[in-house]
This record gives sequence, C-alpha cells and structure tokens, in this order.
Amino acid sequence: MKGLKFTRKQLCIPYLLFLLCFVALPLLVVIYYAFTNGDGQFTIKNFINFFTSPNTLGTLFYSFSIAIATTIVCLLLAYPIAYILARSKMKQKMVLVFMFVLPMWINFTLRITALKEILTLIEGNLAYYPFLNSIIGMTYDFLPFMILPMYTTLLKLDNSLLEAASDLGANSVQVFLKITLPLSVPGIISGVVMVFLPSMTNYVVLDMLYNSTYIMGSFIGSYFSAYDWHNGSMISLVLLAIIAIITLMTSKYTDENESRGGSLL
Amino acid sequence: MQRFKKKNIFKASIAFASKLSLLVMMAGTAVLSIPAATPQAKEDVIKLRVCNWEEYIDLGDWDEEELIELDNGTSIIGENAMYDDFEEWYYETYGQRVEVEYSCFGTNEDLYNQLTLGDAYDIVCPSDYMLMKLIAEDKVQPFSEEFFDTNDENNYYINGVSPYIKDVFDNFLINDEPWSKYAACYMWGITGVLYNPEYVTEEEAATWAIFDNPKFHRQVTLKDNVRDTYFAMLGYLKADKLLSEEFMNDANYHDRLFDEMNDVTPETINEVEEVLQKTMGNVYALETDSGKADMVTGKIVANYQWSGDAVYAMDLADEDGVELNFAVPVECSNLWFDGWIMLKDGINGDLEKQHAAEAFVNFLSRPDNVVRNMYYIGYTSAIAGGDDTTVFDYLNWCYADEDDEDNIDYPVGYFFSGDNSDEDYIVCADASQIGRQLTSQYPDKETIDRTAIMGYYNEEETKNINQMWINVRCFNIKNVPAWAWIVIGAVLLAVVSWVVIRTRLYGGKK
Repeated sequence: MKGLKFTRKQLCIPYLLFLLCFVALPLLVVIYYAFTNGDGQFTIKNFINFFTSPNTLGTLFYSFSIAIATTIVCLLLAYPIAYILARSKMKQKMVLVFMFVLPMWINFTLRITALKEILTLIEGNLAYYPFLNSIIGMTYDFLPFMILPMYTTLLKLDNSLLEAASDLGANSVQVFLKITLPLSVPGIISGVVMVFLPSMTNYVVLDMLYNSTYIMGSFIGSYFSAYDWHNGSMISLVLLAIIAIITLMTSKYTDENESRGGSLL
Repeated sequence: MQRFKKKNIFKASIAFASKLSLLVMMAGTAVLSIPAATPQAKEDVIKLRVCNWEEYIDLGDWDEEELIELDNGTSIIGENAMYDDFEEWYYETYGQRVEVEYSCFGTNEDLYNQLTLGDAYDIVCPSDYMLMKLIAEDKVQPFSEEFFDTNDENNYYINGVSPYIKDVFDNFLINDEPWSKYAACYMWGITGVLYNPEYVTEEEAATWAIFDNPKFHRQVTLKDNVRDTYFAMLGYLKADKLLSEEFMNDANYHDRLFDEMNDVTPETINEVEEVLQKTMGNVYALETDSGKADMVTGKIVANYQWSGDAVYAMDLADEDGVELNFAVPVECSNLWFDGWIMLKDGINGDLEKQHAAEAFVNFLSRPDNVVRNMYYIGYTSAIAGGDDTTVFDYLNWCYADEDDEDNIDYPVGYFFSGDNSDEDYIVCADASQIGRQLTSQYPDKETIDRTAIMGYYNEEETKNINQMWINVRCFNIKNVPAWAWIVIGAVLLAVVSWVVIRTRLYGGKK
C-alpha cells in the first residue's frame, strides 16, 4: 500500500488540470478572439465597438433593468418568507422550507411553460407586457436562490442578542432594524448575487415568454451565429469583467459586515 | 421537425471547446509527430459520418397499424432506423460492411461553425443557401459519374428525382457549375402563412402584409430567423412592384423575381429595417417552434410557416378539432431545399467512402424509403419515383377521396412527370383539401411559378443583414427616457454619498 501514498501537491494535480482545461485555456481563447479581427491581427476595435454601439449599451441597460427589477422583487418577496420560516417555532417548518425548494427539482423550462399558460389566462395576450412577464418568469425561477441563503443566515441569528436589545429598551421595530437586519446582510448579499448575475443573461426565460428583445446572453449568441467570434467574445469578456467587479465589491462588503457584526458584541 | 432551432449559446460554447481541443491535439501531434505511423491495414468496415437536421429521417419503430398499403401492392412500415437499414442493404447489395455514424445539427449556422472548427463529416444535409456557400467555398466533393448513370437500377436518386427539382438544380449555377453536380435534393417546400379561418379570411392571409395588419394586432408571429423574416418583409415592402401587371407579365419574370427577393443593397436593408421595426409593434412574437402549438391553442391566429411544419400543425389541429389553413402570399413565396452534399474534408479522396456516401443518398431515394421518411417527418421529398408509382400512390393514399361529392381534380404532373397536363398524375381529392395539407405538401403549378430561391450572401451583405437584425432586436440606449437617466443619476449619487459618509464615520475605527 506504500505506493499509493500521495503528497498533498500530487493530489492537487487533477484539479489543476481541470482548472487549466476548463477555466484558464477557454478564457485565453476568449481573450484571443476578443482582441483580434477576422484576419487574426491584434485590434482594440471590438473593445471600442462595445462602448460606442447604441445596441450594446442599450442591451446592457436592458439586461441591468431586468436584473435589478428581478432582484428587488425577489428580495421583497423572499425576506419576509425567510424571516417567518427561520423565526417560527413551528415544529413542521422543515416541510415549509421544503415546499419552497420543491419547484427547483422540476425542470425549469417545464415550469416556465406552465407559467406561460397561467399568464396568458390572466393577461389575455402575453405580447402586451413583455418586460413584466420577463420579471415574473425570472422571479419564479430564481426565488429559491434568494430564500435559502437568507433563511440560513437568519437561522443562525443568536436569540440572546435580540433579548438583550429588548431588555435595553428597544421596541420590536428597533430590534429588527438595528439587530436583525444588519446581521442578515451577508445572507441578503449572497442571495442578491445569486439572483442578479444569472438574471442578466438567462435569455431562455425571455425567449419562452415571447420577449423578443435581446439581453446579454442572446446578444452574444446572435454574434456567434453570424460567425462573428470576435465581437461576441469581447462582449463576453466585458460582461465577465462586470460580474467580477460586482462579486469583488460584494464579497468585500460581506466580510466587512461580518466583522462589524462581531464588533457589535 | 424544427428546421431552425433557436440559436444556442451552449452549442456555441461546445464549438468553442472543440476548437480548443483541436488546438490541444495539434500541439500534441506537433510534439509527438509520429511520421505516418504504420500504414493501416485496410479497414473492413467503412465508417460513414452523416450529419442531418434533428428529426429529419425515419427512426423506425412504427406501430403495426401504421402499415401503409398502397394501390400498387407495396406495403411500407418502418421497423428500424433508416440508417440501420442502409447498413444492411449496402452489405447485401455491394458485399461491403459500412457503419453509419449518425449525428444531428440544430441550425445551418451551427453546422457551418462545426465544419469550420474542425468537425469532420462525410455527408451533410444543409439548406439551400448554406450548401451554396459551401460549394462556393470549394468544400464540397462533386458526385461521381456513376451516380448519374441512369442504367444502374440502384441509382434511385437520378432515376427518381422529380423533373421539376432536377430542372432547378441543373439551372442554378454556383461558380458557373450547376448545383446538381454537387448536391442531391432531399426535402423541399415553400413558405407561407398558416392561419385560423375562423378569424382570418384567405384573402387577408395570402399576403405578406398580414404581419402588419392592425386587425390582428399582437396575434401574428414571424420567424426568429433573420433570413425568413427578411424575405417576408421584402415581400411586404415590394408588394406594389411584385404585383404590378408590368412585372408579372415580364418575359423575364423569374429572373427579375429572384433579383428582387435577393435584394440586399444597403438602401433596401435600411428600408426593410424600418418596415420590420414597425411590424414588430404589431406581431405577437418571433418564434421558431412554438408557433404551431400557439396556433392550436388559439394564442395567435396567423403564423409565418414552412410548408412542412404547416402540414404538421394542421394534422395536430385536426386532432384537437381546430381547423387551420395554409395560404401562400400572392406577392411571392420562398422556395427552399435541403440537400445532401459530400464534404471534401471528410471523404478525403477515399473512393470507397464516396461510393458508400452516394449509395446512402440513393438508398434514401428508394421510393419505399421516400414514403417512410415523408410519413415520419411530414416534409415533401424531392423524389417523384420515375417509373415507380409508389410515391404518387402514397399521395393518393393520403388524399384521394372515394366518394364523388365535392371532388376536384388536382394536377401535380409538373412535379411527377414535368408536364402538368399529364393525366396520370392527377389527384382526385375532396375540395376541402385545397388550402390544407395537400396544397401545402404539393403546391399547385401556379403557386410554384411565383416562388424565388434565396441565395447566399457574401460576407459584407451577411454582415449588413445581421446588423439590421441586431438593430431591430436590441433595446436602443437612445430610447431610455430622460426621467430614467435622472433616477439613475440620483441613485448613484445617493450610493456614493452614503459610502463617503460611512467611511468618514467608521473609517477611523478600522
């Protein structure tokens, strides 16, 4: 059995290979395409295109609008649910949590197809409210991703903190605003990130609910199907940069809050 | 059944990945560089790599009651997938084992991307414009002389192809050579408007203007596909010209129609963009596949449709007790083909492989197999059958009406024998079939006479059309109202000032 021993470094090799093949190399290819033209020469024209084309900026704006609206709606719906679930003393609350997670087990195109029929019943004609329908579809799709992290954070909330605040004279509104809300910020942030980022690019929901306006995902696809790998790659790259910035900002914020949460003690 | 699947990011990324693996492999071979390793022993089995549209061939497994018994005594049923039967047939006929590696593609563009990124196939089945592009780029292996030998009874394609289709393929030139040298037609059809006669009259449906008709506000759909939609809008834009007496009676009507419907000058593209922007305000949606179901459920009343899918939708609606009809716009219609071409990269000069590829086309063109495919996928085959009456008998089996009431004689001679007055090729069908399955599957001569093929465009033209499409599909930043900018500005200001104040307040503690 001696021969089967691996050092820690050796055990890392498969993961390293994985990262190399599926993260580093594809990224390099994307970067290569983004900064070359059809003849393979270096160019920054694609980069300039991104920031000068009214279509690209408009699509970015539209994607952001959808993502922001979806995130806000999800947040407003999910927070009370997560709060009630986490704070309730019900014995069967796992069943309730379970019920909110259950739809995630059903294929989402199937769920959106069903939603399409329901919305048609309510609205009569889907084509009149493409933006609203997209928000509803996205919310339906992403709500569990918002509930779960907030639920977990709120579950960990130390009851003695709330009791201490009440003992020191805070009323229930003050307790919520000064203790519960700040302490649940990490959950909110991870929920927001998990909803905001995918809803910027999930064009399948829009397609299925007949919103023919492009968002970032379908926009990139339209370049690829027109054999324009270069502009498509540049858009992907800028989108990646935007996502990276958002993630970095929020992760910094989460840490800060956790330390701040600690200092509250 | 779907001829144009949604463009798919995942497929694009797979194409990316395959390019990547190619790079890695190239690097690998460069390092190892085994010079022509061991001349391989002649393989016993020929491997034939076929790539076709999804759901575009008989996959067998029919129920027993689906057995088709034709007047000429032929009984047809699909037990196995067509390509499995081919392997068996090839061995029986030529004594050589062949193994078919069958795969599918979603859109012409996907196929093209796969080919350029290094996927190798021997024989593929793209649409008209894509096979023209591939021929023009010298990627296609011409068929051998034996393939066109009418004395060989196993040459089912050349002996059975419809004279009408053959004529089109012989007269359409790419690089001064006819298509027919490179491509064998598989399925064909036209485009038109599928409509619900309860809400839409035939007259209203039989024009490209229906998509902008305010009477059907948000109840009509266009295709989520730049070429089809461009054609429809071009027909709408040029309706006056196309319908003028002078134009229609011109001796060069066909050439002029082709030129008009392939007009991709920047000015025309701009005009189409304007018309399309306006029309987008009237349509329900752009769709690729969902339109058929939406017609049946009544979400929409008219739908831009390919004839084959129209047949499928009408069958579907009949089962649900809804009547749908198919109308071909009076201005003109798009005649389209899907054809088999052999790829130079795949065949690579291997004569045995080429023989197997040509035999594959012939096998698909054998009349009983033609019927199997047509029954299974609903599209119309390019094969008329030549001396064999199987295909025409199948048409009779589908549509001929025994009782005498309300029957009409529907001539299809132009397709089967090249002479539309040929009395051997007249279907005696119920009058209600007009404007329905029969006329969708085999349009009458008059309709066929006002069709145009859509050619392929050069890089510049393709770019312009795609740009037009993107302009229409994207939300333009200039459309953001002023109040929205003010709100965004206010929110940004609030966030920035909040961050500044917070760092001032807590900054010292850190």
